[in-house]
Amino acid sequence: MIEAWLCWLTPISGALLTPILAKIDHKVRDYGAVAFSLIAAIFASRLLPVAIEGITIWERYSWMPIPGAPIFVGVLVDPLSVIMANVVSWISFLIMLYSLEYMHSESGLTRYWFLMNLFIGNMLLLVLSDNLLQMFFGWEGVGLCSYGLIGFWYRDEKKYWVGTYPDEYPPSHAGMKAFITTRMGDVGMLIAMLAIYSYSGTFSIPELQSNPVWASTLLESGLLTPILLLMLLGPIGKSAQFPLHEWLPEAMAGPTSVSALIHAATMVKAGVYLIARMAIIAASLIPVIGFEGFHTFFLAVAWIGGFTAFLAATQAVVARELKKVLAYSTISQIGYMMLALGAAGLAADIAEGLTASIFHLVSHAVFKASLFLASGAVLHVCETKYMDEMGGLKRYMPVTFISMLIAALSLSGVPPLLGFWSKEAVLKVCFKTGDLALFLLSAVTAAITFFYSLRMISITFLYPKSKHLEELEVEGLHLHEVSPIMWIPYSLLAVSTLILGVLGWFVEEAFHESLSHLVTATHHLEAVVEPHGAVIDPSIASMLASISALIVGGLPGYWLYVARRADPRLIVEGSPILKAIWGFLWNRWYINKLYYLLFVNLPIALARITNRWIEVGFFNGIQYGLSWLTLRLATFTNRLVEVSFFNGIQYGVAELTARLCRASRLLQTGSLNINMYQVSIILALILVILLIFMGVW
Amino acid sequence: MSLPILIQTVLTPIVLAPIVYLAGRKLSHHVGWLSFAILLHSTAMMLMVAGSEYLEVYSWVPRMGWDIGFKLDGLSLPFALNVAVLSTVIAVYSIPYMEHRIGDKPEEYGSYYALYLLYAAGMLGAVLATDLVEFYIFYELMLIPSYLLIARWGYGERERIAFMYFLWTHIGALALLASIVAVYWVTGATSIEAVKTILQNTRIPFQLEVGIATAMLLGFLVKMAVLGLHVWLPHAHAEAPTPISALLSPAMIGIGGYGVIRIALGFFPQFFKVYSLPIAIWAFLTMVYGGLMALSQDDVKRLLAYSSISQMGYLLFGISSVNMLGISGSILHYLSHGLGKGILFMVAGILIMQTELRSISRMGGLASKMPLTAVSALIGFLTLIGLPTTSGFISEWMIFGGVIRSSLASGSMEKLLVAVLGLLATMFTAGYGLWTVRRVFFGPTPTHLEEVKEGSMLALAPIIALAILTFIVGVFPAPILDRLTQTIMLSSNLG
Repeated sequence: MIEAWLCWLTPISGALLTPILAKIDHKVRDYGAVAFSLIAAIFASRLLPVAIEGITIWERYSWMPIPGAPIFVGVLVDPLSVIMANVVSWISFLIMLYSLEYMHSESGLTRYWFLMNLFIGNMLLLVLSDNLLQMFFGWEGVGLCSYGLIGFWYRDEKKYWVGTYPDEYPPSHAGMKAFITTRMGDVGMLIAMLAIYSYSGTFSIPELQSNPVWASTLLESGLLTPILLLMLLGPIGKSAQFPLHEWLPEAMAGPTSVSALIHAATMVKAGVYLIARMAIIAASLIPVIGFEGFHTFFLAVAWIGGFTAFLAATQAVVARELKKVLAYSTISQIGYMMLALGAAGLAADIAEGLTASIFHLVSHAVFKASLFLASGAVLHVCETKYMDEMGGLKRYMPVTFISMLIAALSLSGVPPLLGFWSKEAVLKVCFKTGDLALFLLSAVTAAITFFYSLRMISITFLYPKSKHLEELEVEGLHLHEVSPIMWIPYSLLAVSTLILGVLGWFVEEAFHESLSHLVTATHHLEAVVEPHGAVIDPSIASMLASISALIVGGLPGYWLYVARRADPRLIVEGSPILKAIWGFLWNRWYINKLYYLLFVNLPIALARITNRWIEVGFFNGIQYGLSWLTLRLATFTNRLVEVSFFNGIQYGVAELTARLCRASRLLQTGSLNINMYQVSIILALILVILLIFMGVW
Repeated sequence: MSLPILIQTVLTPIVLAPIVYLAGRKLSHHVGWLSFAILLHSTAMMLMVAGSEYLEVYSWVPRMGWDIGFKLDGLSLPFALNVAVLSTVIAVYSIPYMEHRIGDKPEEYGSYYALYLLYAAGMLGAVLATDLVEFYIFYELMLIPSYLLIARWGYGERERIAFMYFLWTHIGALALLASIVAVYWVTGATSIEAVKTILQNTRIPFQLEVGIATAMLLGFLVKMAVLGLHVWLPHAHAEAPTPISALLSPAMIGIGGYGVIRIALGFFPQFFKVYSLPIAIWAFLTMVYGGLMALSQDDVKRLLAYSSISQMGYLLFGISSVNMLGISGSILHYLSHGLGKGILFMVAGILIMQTELRSISRMGGLASKMPLTAVSALIGFLTLIGLPTTSGFISEWMIFGGVIRSSLASGSMEKLLVAVLGLLATMFTAGYGLWTVRRVFFGPTPTHLEEVKEGSMLALAPIIALAILTFIVGVFPAPILDRLTQTIMLSSNLG
């Protein structure tokens, strides 16, 4: 399967060649970059037969020779990776095509194309890897590229800031926030990977699947659940799920094409992909160690997904910036994908949950890419990021309006668009878990989704022309549709969501057929939770829920924003409760503020305190104290010991000697007789002493 | 008897140092190229025999049984390679930098490069030495030239700081000497291999082992500047002339880690197994402390110095695992920290040359003025952060993999907790790294930096060389890893 290797190698090589191509000519560089992404997409298509036949191809070569637990570099081509590779590469290609026009007047394009291709290549590496460590290379590579691309306008000119005063962030800050937040999750993931590696001696996904010993050992020591939850942190960060979701709203600081790439094709989908992989691994281990071992994990995935979907949807309702609505909706929709994967385990039907999740992932990729690219066109024309400074664009940008409308309806799950089928699939598997709270939460979220989609489309396209636009027109700007090279990609995507939607039921079946090859092992297994499908058929329940959600969300949305029977602003102003809710949502449930306090202000304050008191105060203090003490001791020794004592002794001895000399001079009489007496007395004394010592006496 | 190859690596720079000194009077700053050639020769000689284990032994004081030997095996290779490569490329980097620092005083270049060569030779000798006495001599030889280099061409209160540096590391060296004497007294041998064999086959009282190992460990840990013994490092590394900072921090201090692994751990594995948890905690505290301190710095070189303290914590952390994976990770971490921090100190030097500034708060928006420097800084920090495809990732996952494996193997939950906390502490690296990049290179350019130009090619080329190396090691670690893990497995019976 040389195509699988080339699929991810092509964009990466393309990225590395970009600076060289730029030396030739900027046209060569731009078209070259797009061509590389096209080649990758063609390679990905050549893998499609694998997905259709439902087979798995696994190739690997030696990479790191760790004794006893070697590490390989390889590709794993199976239905899941092939579907992912195709979504990633084709949508990325369209985004690259769009960038040709969208970015053409920017400077720093060599950097742009380099990072874009590297981004695509790393994402493809991620989905095609056969082992966790190699996947982590792609995983972090995606993170790095997003850091570079979100902060693309690194000079932080005021017009590129995101947010509304006082919560405004410059692009370089947003890039850093994305990198650091996602990395927090990655740390957990790395711990889990390393723990699994120390038990199993391998990072390889097929080997982890086929050898259940590692999982049962972990289960026995009670570590399986903690490790799976740590692993989950990685996807939570990368896919912007609660509690690591706060980076994504600011990630729109980059060019809109970048947002499209992050939200639709790459990055945030990586987390869903990894959890899908984990679900498949779990599916093949469940026959050996049972559902109980994975229950907490799936429960966490489902609830994090469900809660995040709701959390983000509520924030989208009050957002002012067009791209921010889309950003919140991404977080929310990814939540649905997580929910489906969690529900897969809870409902003991991995195949169905996996299908729902991946189906929704594909459908989201299509409509979200369309929405982002179209919103880029709108931003381009209106020279503002705020929806309330747009309005009335339906007349001037009809193609964009229709594309965005179709995509937004697909996002809301309006039949017969693709989004309807995929969301319905998620609700169905959710219903099968028997957890009614979860099911209701996701239905409510669906209603909110339709509400904010209508709000977004209306304010942008249907409202009367804003003051801002009128001023621009006075200044000589005339509102116009963008060039075909920009609208072709997003209208094409909008049409696809329509066509695929009409065929929706068949598409879903095809996905199910293909993906269920991966999880054959879990068919006909006893579930932990008894599904209460006996009362009501899940298909009917989910269909009913979808439709009622559309009515519940759609009617007020239509009444307030499309028909404009009442001014929503006045309604909120008039009610203290609504105002409080509005403030709560506007401040992102205060989670963002809390995080800045805990993870930015606190560490910096701690660092300052440590510097002031421990480093300078204590350690340097001790050092200076010691040197001061040493010097003092030296002076003291000099004065008391050296001068007083030793010198004193010396002088004393000298004095004594001198005195002795003087005294003995008295004996020096010069008379031989007296001397002889002295000698004989001394000799006698010596003799006596000797005799005493010899024991004679 | 092997061919005299490694002896050339170590002794050529020492023998030629006086010639460089004299040549400096005539050649002025061009004498840097002569030093570069000498060190290139040393590196080339070493690479010639890097293919397999290589040993040279020369008799020195036969009556005492002292030999001079040089050994290049899987363990010393990463260290020797790092020292050789760094000192070679930084010799080139010194040319523009010292021209900026010394200016028009041609007589000073000779003494700078002569001391530089002695310093490099000291480090090379220490990592290749096979005998404890020989090791100690080279260990001290690193100290004296670096002391003079700081005292003469440093910044700020350079003489006082150089003296402080000398005192601290010398006290560490004395503790080491005491332990070497004790080892000699116990075993009657000074050859590292011989001592190891004797200690493996004879039981010595554990109290004695603890005493000797503690003294030895303290001796090495002063050099590594772990928490509590670190006071000298921020001063010395911040105020040394930048090329010397780029050797002190990336090359020299990690040699303490080499000593721990080759000598202390080789002699007293039992000590490390017993005290694994306290060592891990000490290492963890060092990681966090260095990271926190780096966050609070405004002087770019001081920030890098504290970051080095933190990174030495990682090295010690890997050692505390006392298994093959963790120790191999530590050794690779020495190499990847060397590459990353080497890049970063040289970047700091370029900032000093081009802007005359060291204060981060006075910089900003430099990416558009000096794009290559900005990319280099990012690569340097990403290597420290441990991003995959840089060598930093390979070493980081191995270190933490090792610690996690050892805690799971021993069933010690405390140790697992420390491992998890340790990985969380890597967030500090990401924090101060990316924040620094942002504050220096991104955002609007202040007016006083409008005229700043990109650094000279001569200053950038060494950085680019290291950046390429970090990616090569990060993507294709096998050539180094293969021999490293083999040696570690064989030398200390670690699973």
